[in-house]
Amino acid sequence: MSDGWTIDEWFVVALARTIGDGEVVFHGFASPCAQVAMHVARRTHAPRSLLIEGATYAVDPDPGFIPPTSNDLALHRDAVYRMRFEEFFDAAQRGAVDRMFLSGGQIDGYGNTNVTAIGGMPHPKIKLGGGGGGGNISATIGALTVWTTRHRSGRTLVPTVDFLTDLGHVTPSGTRAELGYTGGGPQWLVTELGLFDYAADGHARLRETFPDVTVADVEQATGFELRTHPDVVPVRPPDAAELAAVRAVDPLGVRRLEFGPRELERTFGPAG
Amino acid sequence: MTTFHLGADKQATLAQAAELVRDGFVVALGGGLCSRLPMALVRELLRQGRRDLHVVGSAHSIDVDLLVAAGAVAVCEESYVGFEQDLGLAPAFRRAAENGTVQVRESCCVSILTQLRASEMGLPFLPVRGLKGTDILALHPEYGIVACPFTGEQLVALPALTPDVALIHAPLGDRHGNLHLDQPYVLDERFAHASRMVVATVDRLAPTDELAAAGVVVPGHCVAAVVEAPLGAHPSSCYPGYAYDRPHLAAYLAAAAAGGEALESYLAQYVECGEDAYRDLVDAERLASWSASDARWQELFR
Repeated sequence: MSDGWTIDEWFVVALARTIGDGEVVFHGFASPCAQVAMHVARRTHAPRSLLIEGATYAVDPDPGFIPPTSNDLALHRDAVYRMRFEEFFDAAQRGAVDRMFLSGGQIDGYGNTNVTAIGGMPHPKIKLGGGGGGGNISATIGALTVWTTRHRSGRTLVPTVDFLTDLGHVTPSGTRAELGYTGGGPQWLVTELGLFDYAADGHARLRETFPDVTVADVEQATGFELRTHPDVVPVRPPDAAELAAVRAVDPLGVRRLEFGPRELERTFGPAG
Repeated sequence: MTTFHLGADKQATLAQAAELVRDGFVVALGGGLCSRLPMALVRELLRQGRRDLHVVGSAHSIDVDLLVAAGAVAVCEESYVGFEQDLGLAPAFRRAAENGTVQVRESCCVSILTQLRASEMGLPFLPVRGLKGTDILALHPEYGIVACPFTGEQLVALPALTPDVALIHAPLGDRHGNLHLDQPYVLDERFAHASRMVVATVDRLAPTDELAAAGVVVPGHCVAAVVEAPLGAHPSSCYPGYAYDRPHLAAYLAAAAAGGEALESYLAQYVECGEDAYRDLVDAERLASWSASDARWQELFR
């Protein structure tokens, strides 16, 4: 295993690559993989990005480790500046934030997410935690990276969300343009099986898979209509710098909290 | 319409302070996630048998869940209640939402912020972007739609939100009610100015000179009562004094998830006992050890 890597490491690297150099990025709370990914991006291909840290709103901190709770001093002790709550959300609403990470208990083909309730409201089958700021700022942030580590369950990528918490490209009330929203909406959907982008009509399209996953596997796990690029290619392996960054940023392995035990057994190496 | 709280001496006992919070109040909970939550006040409200509270705020955890577990909440208007990926869903909140014993009017961080700002400014409403197209709107019949008089843009109009009380815990305060907080303040400044009163606990009461030097974030004229309550945010963190008490939180979640006797036993051991006995149960030295080194700090999260 000395030269190998695990799915949680590779997944975080795939998330990190969705961040462009020079972007202003934010992840919110309850998002360990996205949180680690932002630091990995800043330490590798996106050194000029501006990172707004979790529920501390600290700017470009360099924490010694990522704790499993997102409003903790460990995330920002060394930060030079912390935005106020209202300062961050104002920036997000006026379009000054380029990218946010969003996940969900359910995600539909247009990138709408449900983090409120399986079974919908007011009679939920499972009450989830809730959406934080997503219902407002998913309308105005430049681009969204949507992710899930629970694609294989078959219950996450669904034809229709039971409750629409955060905005994708097309909602039952209309498209983003029809609703008057300035934000670009979902740009990438990263799962533990592969990576999707979004077509011009706003629907997800499979573009890459991890090498131990086939398109048929993805089809079986996907509840919405699976659209694919003509050539689905393997996700590019992490390089040494990316892997080193993941391990340095996240010594506690909080990223692993997002994966089921069977997924964590997936290991990869230079030989394949 | 909220007014200032004049008077030189706001110091109160925990029981006196909690008595200012009446059944049915709209209660803003300070802090956020698992940091600087007003837990000593939450526990005292439960000792006093408070009922039918309408809690409002952003992202919260054991403060809301414990109030719900003990049957003190009628309406929950937070943007998130849970323990993130570390410990998962909030068990009592989840059960109450699924059984319909608490009305969940889930909100969004910006919505709550905007409603507090309207209240601070004495305005009846403010518009906000987003929400249109989401199902959050259906949980809020009190929201409206307003057209911009200049562009015609249709925006969601949010009514001003004036909590009856904001419960805020601070590491440091003085007897006049001045509070020093370290960032992130989350919504605490907005709560202080938009609410009818602040009821505060502090880990330590200090002379006003010390407060002024540290920096006053919530001024005494917003505060109706202040109580010295060491470890008053426990089991959430209140740095620099103490980190998040992960084993305590895990034990609470197990008890709340099991319900019944397990929950009764938690309430007997940690709530009914009173704050003096509660503090004796906390390993404060362990929670203060975060500052010794990064390695010691990391140990607190394993």
